[in-house]
Amino acid sequence: MKLAASIAIACAATAAAADPLRLRADALATTASPAGLLVLEADGAVRSGLSAEAVVWIAGARSPGEDASGDVLVIAVDATSKDARTRGRVGRFVSLLGALRPVHVDGATLRLRLPRQFDVEAVAGMPVVASGLVTGRSWDWIVGGRVARRLGDYGSVGLAYAQRRDAGRLMTEEIGADVGAAIDKRHDVGVRAAYDLVNPGLAEVGVSASRRTKGVRAELYARHRASSHLLPATSLFSVLGDVPSQRVGSVVTWRAAPRLDLIGDLAARRIDDDFAEEIVARARLRLDDRGTSAITGELRRSGGDGSSWTGARAAARIALPHALALATELELVIPDDDRGRGAVWPWALLAATWERASWSAAVAVEASASPEYSHRVDALLQLSRRWSMK
Amino acid sequence: MKRLAWTLVCVALVACAGVLGLKRSVPEVFPHRAHVVAGVTCTRCHAGMEAGGRALHLPDDASCISCHTKPHDPAPCSGCHVPAGRPAELAEAKAHLKFDHVPHLKGPASGNCMQCHTGIADGDARIRPQMATCFKCHGKAQSARTCDTCHTNLVEEGTLPQSHLAHDGDWMREHGTRAASSGDLCETCHKQSFCADCHGQTVPALTSTRRFADPFAASAHRAGFAARHSLEARADPGACSTCHQPDRCVACHTSRGVAGDTRTTPHPRGWVGLTASENLHGREARRDPAACASCHGGAGEKLCVQCHAVGGVGGNPHPPGWSSRQPLSAMPCRMCHPIGAR
Repeated sequence: MKLAASIAIACAATAAAADPLRLRADALATTASPAGLLVLEADGAVRSGLSAEAVVWIAGARSPGEDASGDVLVIAVDATSKDARTRGRVGRFVSLLGALRPVHVDGATLRLRLPRQFDVEAVAGMPVVASGLVTGRSWDWIVGGRVARRLGDYGSVGLAYAQRRDAGRLMTEEIGADVGAAIDKRHDVGVRAAYDLVNPGLAEVGVSASRRTKGVRAELYARHRASSHLLPATSLFSVLGDVPSQRVGSVVTWRAAPRLDLIGDLAARRIDDDFAEEIVARARLRLDDRGTSAITGELRRSGGDGSSWTGARAAARIALPHALALATELELVIPDDDRGRGAVWPWALLAATWERASWSAAVAVEASASPEYSHRVDALLQLSRRWSMK
Repeated sequence: MKRLAWTLVCVALVACAGVLGLKRSVPEVFPHRAHVVAGVTCTRCHAGMEAGGRALHLPDDASCISCHTKPHDPAPCSGCHVPAGRPAELAEAKAHLKFDHVPHLKGPASGNCMQCHTGIADGDARIRPQMATCFKCHGKAQSARTCDTCHTNLVEEGTLPQSHLAHDGDWMREHGTRAASSGDLCETCHKQSFCADCHGQTVPALTSTRRFADPFAASAHRAGFAARHSLEARADPGACSTCHQPDRCVACHTSRGVAGDTRTTPHPRGWVGLTASENLHGREARRDPAACASCHGGAGEKLCVQCHAVGGVGGNPHPPGWSSRQPLSAMPCRMCHPIGAR
């Protein structure tokens, strides 16, 4: 951890010698565990085509007697060739390989833009594991790649492959296919599918198609997910069968007035032979043209065998004079079957923020009742400072 | 009384219209096209354009009066003939774009401003060129996704991509499907830390906690998610394990004292038993094996093997027709299939 933090600071210092270096520090204190959190971010460009980014954090002890913890979220150096056809990245970052799940890795990635609109990406490294869950890191690695072809200005198609090993044992091996296309000015479509090669079967499929007309956007979507294929192949639970869940639905967003958006989401879910509904109605009203102040309200109904609930949420943010703002949020959840854990689970937050120049501060009170606590009140305090230097 | 009521209704309607942002549509008040058709060159009014610089080169009253010698109103021309907010809009565009008229006027648009300002041919509604116009010459920047060819800093400015990308609807759900084919496009505006805030394994706190004062900040776990997370997980098998490692649940539950030795079993009556009706766990485990793995993963798998090993009382846990590429000597097969057993 100390080594990683040192590297992050060294990178930031290098960047400070040249083009804009941006630093940000956020200190968060809460009465809930962990009580204190300090997040430091830095990014900048050493010179054109070479940039670095780092985010490190240190958190207070979760309980008396425990040590403070810390880790690196991102530390990456990016290099891009002059013609932007080659791009490389080294460090800790989130690897995106088309239709395959994003993986947080310590490693390197390279992307090449080849003639005839072909793109090639490759990644290799060691998957990041949360520090509290580390049990041994010998021979853990991931390699993968993606080949894509752009379809003129209209979209692209891609094929990806990744293999991940845990202590040398094959943990995941997947191929993925993705398609994205803007058919015309009003219609676009996105499709992705991942196939598990270890226990052959579809792991995940997502389809989204949208149509945009003046003030209205309608999206049709479908998703198929097989939980057993998302588990590591080394898990005993990956061999229990293949019972995928599906979801199909439609979201309509209507700009009913210049400052008023209405959103409706109607979906059906299926797990095994059980069907359930998911209905969301949401409205958002901006109180000024830039949306600095806004109010939103949402109603939600989620069905399902043993998991159905009805909920409502309201939130508002009001900008006040002297760089002050007030924000409030209220959520009520009513489970159909509370199993003796409370008929209503309310959650509320009231926050005040102040922002001036490079400083910002926020304070909030959060109150809730949940299956875990009959009532709970927490206070949160955040102080942030930004620096930007040439 | 009736009059007062009507007055109040009218005031309320006007106030509502104001809150909703409804405004009377105002036609473009300066007839650019008519001037062009009349043979007035652009630089005659927009003087100094060839010299470049930070000025907006908006015409002043003197340039209008040079032709319109008898103004119909003594007030400044721009008071009526420039839409409210337009100068601020232009200043903002100038500040956020790396654009200089000089090289364009010396190059492709020499002597012909309409090479880029094509909208003037159709009317007065769209004077500023659309991004597609830029790509006629800057196609390389488009294909290489180097937005910083024209934009100053999309990442830091948080410019909303209203004109060419839509993040509306339920973008939290939709972004995975969209980003699959255009991850590099996402990177033109979003830094690594943006992705890692949710997809990182070393996230220090939920985005909703770190940005608690912004109720509109996008987060998969907004508001009272902690209370309803068990319902959400049950309704959407595998949803948790697409981002979290399977043992994440038990790590959190243990640290919060809501699992492990501090509570009795979370399973309902009839979860494990001797008869089929008393064995709910089999059906539930098939529907969401990731949920089981979240607590019983790793060493906890031995609990299952006690009954389901070859020859054990639990019988075969695989569904009919099940097959795997894994050899029996590999994990997890060898847990139940010891060497020599099939």
